[in-house]
Parts: sequence; C-alpha cells; structure tokens
Amino acid sequence: MKRIDAVIRPSQLDEVKQRVNALGITGLTVSEVRGFGRQKGHTETYRGSEYTVDFLPKIFVTIAVAEDLVEPVVEAIMEGARTGVIGDGKIFVSSLDDVIRIRTGERGPGAI
Amino acid sequence: MRFLSFQRQYGRRSVAISRALLILLLAQILSGSMCAAFADQAPQPDPAGTATGDKNSVADAAGNPFVVPEPTDTTSPDYAKNKKAFDDFQAQAAREPLALKLADGVGHDRIGSNFSWTLLTGYLVLFMQAGFALLTCGLVRKKNAAHLMMLNFAAYVFAFLAYYAVGYAFQFGAVAVNASPVNIGGAPTLNHFLIGSGQWGLLGGKGFFLTGPAYDAGSNCLTLFELVFMETAGYIIVGAICERITFWAFLLCELFIGGLLYPISGCWVWGGGWLSQLGSSMHLGHGYVDFAGSSVVHAVGGFCAMALALILGPRLGKYGPDGKPRAFPASNIVFVVTGTFVLLFGWMGFNPGSTLGATDLRIAVVAVNTNLAAVAGSAAAMLLWYRLFGKPDITMACNGMLAGLVAITAPCAFVSPTASVIIGVFAGVLVCLGVLFNERILKIDDPCGAISVHGYCGWFGAVALGIFADGAYGSGWNGVGAAAYLGKTGQGVTGLLHGDWSQFVVQLGGATLLAIYAFGATYVVFKAVNAWRSMRVSKEVELEGLDVPEFGMLGYPEDAVQMLSAGSQSPQRAV
Repeated sequence: MKRIDAVIRPSQLDEVKQRVNALGITGLTVSEVRGFGRQKGHTETYRGSEYTVDFLPKIFVTIAVAEDLVEPVVEAIMEGARTGVIGDGKIFVSSLDDVIRIRTGERGPGAI
Repeated sequence: MRFLSFQRQYGRRSVAISRALLILLLAQILSGSMCAAFADQAPQPDPAGTATGDKNSVADAAGNPFVVPEPTDTTSPDYAKNKKAFDDFQAQAAREPLALKLADGVGHDRIGSNFSWTLLTGYLVLFMQAGFALLTCGLVRKKNAAHLMMLNFAAYVFAFLAYYAVGYAFQFGAVAVNASPVNIGGAPTLNHFLIGSGQWGLLGGKGFFLTGPAYDAGSNCLTLFELVFMETAGYIIVGAICERITFWAFLLCELFIGGLLYPISGCWVWGGGWLSQLGSSMHLGHGYVDFAGSSVVHAVGGFCAMALALILGPRLGKYGPDGKPRAFPASNIVFVVTGTFVLLFGWMGFNPGSTLGATDLRIAVVAVNTNLAAVAGSAAAMLLWYRLFGKPDITMACNGMLAGLVAITAPCAFVSPTASVIIGVFAGVLVCLGVLFNERILKIDDPCGAISVHGYCGWFGAVALGIFADGAYGSGWNGVGAAAYLGKTGQGVTGLLHGDWSQFVVQLGGATLLAIYAFGATYVVFKAVNAWRSMRVSKEVELEGLDVPEFGMLGYPEDAVQMLSAGSQSPQRAV
C-alpha cells in the first residue's frame, strides 16, 4: 500500500479530481494549505508599507492506493495539475504501514 | 481591579479637597435650578410637547416671523418703520382673529416637521455606528474581530450614559442664552451657565440626568440629535487605539469623552459658549462657525485619538528594529467598503440634519455638497495613491471618501458645490499625506487612519469654511449681522475668498485651539491614568489576539483550529 500526497494549485483541484475518479479510486482527502517552493512570494504595499506574500494558497490531496495503482494515479494527478507555470506543485509517494476502515475494523489493502 | 478605599489610597487631604469640590459643584447645580424657580415668568418645560410650537414659531421662507415683534430700541434708525409694521400687524390681528388661531396650528406643524427631520436624521447618524464598526473591524487583523466590535458597541453604551448624566447639561444647559434652537422650539428652559456667562460662557448648567428643565419635548429632540453626534466623536478613537487597549481603559476613555471632553468644547461652539460669540464680543466674523462638526466632533475625536495612540504606543511588531513600519493588512475589505458606504449614507443625516429643520431648504444644497466632497476626496486619494504606489489602495480610497466627508462637515451649508469639490480634493490629498506622515515620521501607530481622517481633515474643514464660505447662507448666524453684513442685507457667513478675512482668522484660531485642547486634555488625563495602571494589554494577550483574553470568545470561532499565524507578525491571509 502506498500513500500519495500532492500539493497542487487550488484552480486545478477539479481537473485532478475528475482524472483520479476516472481510474476508479475509492476516496481522497483534501485540505487547504499554504506554502511555497521555487515559486516564492512577492512584495505588496499596504497603506504605504511593504510586506512580502510568502505563503501561497495550495490544495493538499492525500490518496491511499494499492501498489499497482501508484503510477496511473501519479500520472493522472500530473496531467490534471500541470499548467506549465512555476508553482504547479509536487507529488510525494510514501509507504503505508497499515490502513484500517473505522466502521468495520477491516485492515490491509481491502480497507483502501 | 482592586477596590481600595479612596481614602486609604489617596490620604485625608485629597479626600477633603474632593469633598469640597463635590459640594461646590452640587451647589452650583442646585443654585442654577433654584434661580429658575424664583425668577418670574421662568420658562416651563413641556414634556408632553403640547405647549411647543404656536403662532410665534411661524415664519416665511426668508425667516421673517409671522408675529411682528414690538420694537424696543427707540434709538434705532429703523424704529419708525418697525413701529409702523408692528401697529399694522396689531390692527390686522384684531380684524382677523381666526387667522391667529390658524397660525397657532401652522406653528405647531412647522415645529413638528422640524422635529421629524431632526429625529430622523439623528437616527441616520446613529446608524453610522454600525458603519464605523464594520469599517474598523475590517481594517484590523482577524484575531481582534470581536474586540473591535465590542469597542464600537461599548463606546455607544458608555459614552451615552456619561452624556445623559452630565454631558448634555454641560454642552447645552445654557443654549437658550445665545444659541436657541428656534427650529425645534427654542429649548427656553436651558438657560444657565455653570461656568461663565453672557458672551463668555464656558460650561452649561441645566438638565443634568435629563431631568427638570431638560424633561421637555424640544430639549429631548435636541438631546437625541446631539447625543448621536457625541457618539461619533466617541467611536473615532477606536480606530487609533484598537488591537492593544484594555477594555476597562477604553470605558474610561468613553466616559471621559461623553461626559467632559466633547461637551466642554461643544458648549463653546454649539451651546452658545464663548467661541460662537466671538463675532459679537470681538468682531471676528460671525464668531467661530462649524455647521455640523468638522472640528467639534471630528477634530476633537481625532486629536483625542492621537493623544491616546501616543500614550499607548505602537502595536507589537509594527515597527522593525530599523524603525521601518510593517504592514498589517486589513482582514476584511468587504467590511471596509460596506462600512464606508454605511457611513456615507449616515452622513446624509449628519450634515443636512444640522439645520434642525426641514423648513430650512438649504438642506438640499448641504446634501449635494456633502456627496460632492465625499467623491472628490475618494477620487483624489485613489489617484494620488496610484501615482505614488502603482495601485489604488482600497482602504485609502475609503479613507479618502471619509476625509472628504469630514472636511465638508463644517462648511457644507456655507459653500458652493464647486468649493465642495475643491475641499474634497484637498482632504483626499491631506489624508493620504497624513497617513504616511503619522506612520513614517511621527511613528504613531494608527490602525484605521483615524487621526488623519478625523483629526487633520477635521481641522482643515473648519479652516476651509473660513476660506470658501460665499455668504449665500447663514445671515444672522451666532447673532451677527442679521440686518446686514459686509454692507449687504441677507449676507451670510463669508470666508476669505469672498471678502471676510476676520472669519478666516477666527476659524483658524478656533480650530487650532480645539485641536490643542482635545490633544492636551486627553494627554494629561490619560498619561496619569496610564501611570496608575497600564492601559495596554500584556504582550502575550496582544500576540494571541484580544478576543478570548478580554471577552472570552472569538469573533470567528471556526478559526480556532485554522489560525496558523495567531502569534506571529506576518499577515493573516496570503494574497
């Protein structure tokens, strides 16, 4: 079992969701986060004083998948989230030790 | 707060002195009431309103009274003419008794029309309270939202109580002596100065707790209207002291403004006090004039705010180690703009309402002048800011509109639409420069720009009256030049550009005096308060946000989990 985390632009969430759903994925979790990578921030002026906007709004998507679905899902996310401009985001793939369904108590790949 | 007994804390001598002063004050108040009781033909208060407004209130469009008065000055050159007019009226009255009875009804209706006007415009000004709450709440950080709302709310409550108790009596207790509000019945029972007399009145002395001579329909009409104006001065300070003042200190500020600071200067200008009488006493124009309160309300509030902001010091993190100011961006621009619109709407009560009468048709010119200055101020601020920083700052656009409104508040009845636009433009520029000056040079932290909008532009508005007033309105203002002024009959309040330099002198002097008075009195009193106990919240509270520590609740409870930067200096929301 693998965990796929992706930091994407808020405007691309719908596109990513549609492509991932088309692969038959059974669930994903979304949260609103702030962050920057190489996109960095920029300077603005408020009432005559400068301030830097460091943290940009992003969407954090988390999906748990079986090993064989990792590549298709990563591909789908990439296609959905890419705009070609700096700030498109990143995808992180990590191992999952266990997955448990709360309602039934199931464990393992069957619980995904 | 610890409650030590006054005596234990301050010593026997202070107690004795305080007692003596209290007895003196009470004696003055009582003697004032007793004087009225013993004087013959003393005016009686009319709580039911059934004796207010009769044929003596009837006047034509030009203000000539229906009931011709008997001329008393036999030495006057017009005596013969006036005597004939009086005799003719008496003869006509004898022939047409029904006309006199009808005139009683007309007079009552006239007063009733003016009561409606005054009260309704007063309600509009009351609504400005909501506008200012929205504006200031939107301009500060989200972690202080509940604090800002509560400051605005409690300001209304406590300043009101102080004004009810003593403020109204101090400000208008002697209004009938020199500044009788004829449009709403004259308030004849408010006729005694506590301090001063004649043309040198300093403080009114009738109508404490709105009882006795103030329990009168006409007086109550005046009370409501003047109360909401006082409230405006009361909430102005919120804009400069928010995000770091403790609630108990704030309540003291409101009691001070409502009970003392505002009514005292208000008496000098609107209560028939010495500033208004400088035209008669020292031949300075029509005396100090301020139609709806650029100086009485806004400058007093603004400079009081300046003193408090100076004592409190800037917000934590506002100035970096190099002294450069940091931005604390507004948390809710939607509130800021909505609040500004509400204030603009309320100002339609503030300025036109100050005629105290719908029968004074100048109200239409006042309404247009007010709006013109508002938009001119906003446009000027937007264009200037765009020129200076490349984008029209929305908060400065709003401040620009308010600056125009504040500046036109004094001259609105006395100037032309053209002058209103010019005044608005100057105010829009002044507020921008003022904000930058305060922040960068004086290093006074003013979160909402209250000092610039209300202090600087309020002073400017009062002075602008002395420059731009064109004499088209205000004949006989403050009892000066009713028959003729500057050689012309019907000539009203006139400024420098139209031939009256003395009006400019009294405006400049009076406005400057009011600014110094508001700043000085506030600074002295609250420097002492601050020395006794700090008026500022602790560092931990200020960093967390005042909502929970001061009031036990968040303005935005859903943020309890989400507030990422509650303790930091960086802006709440990324752009």
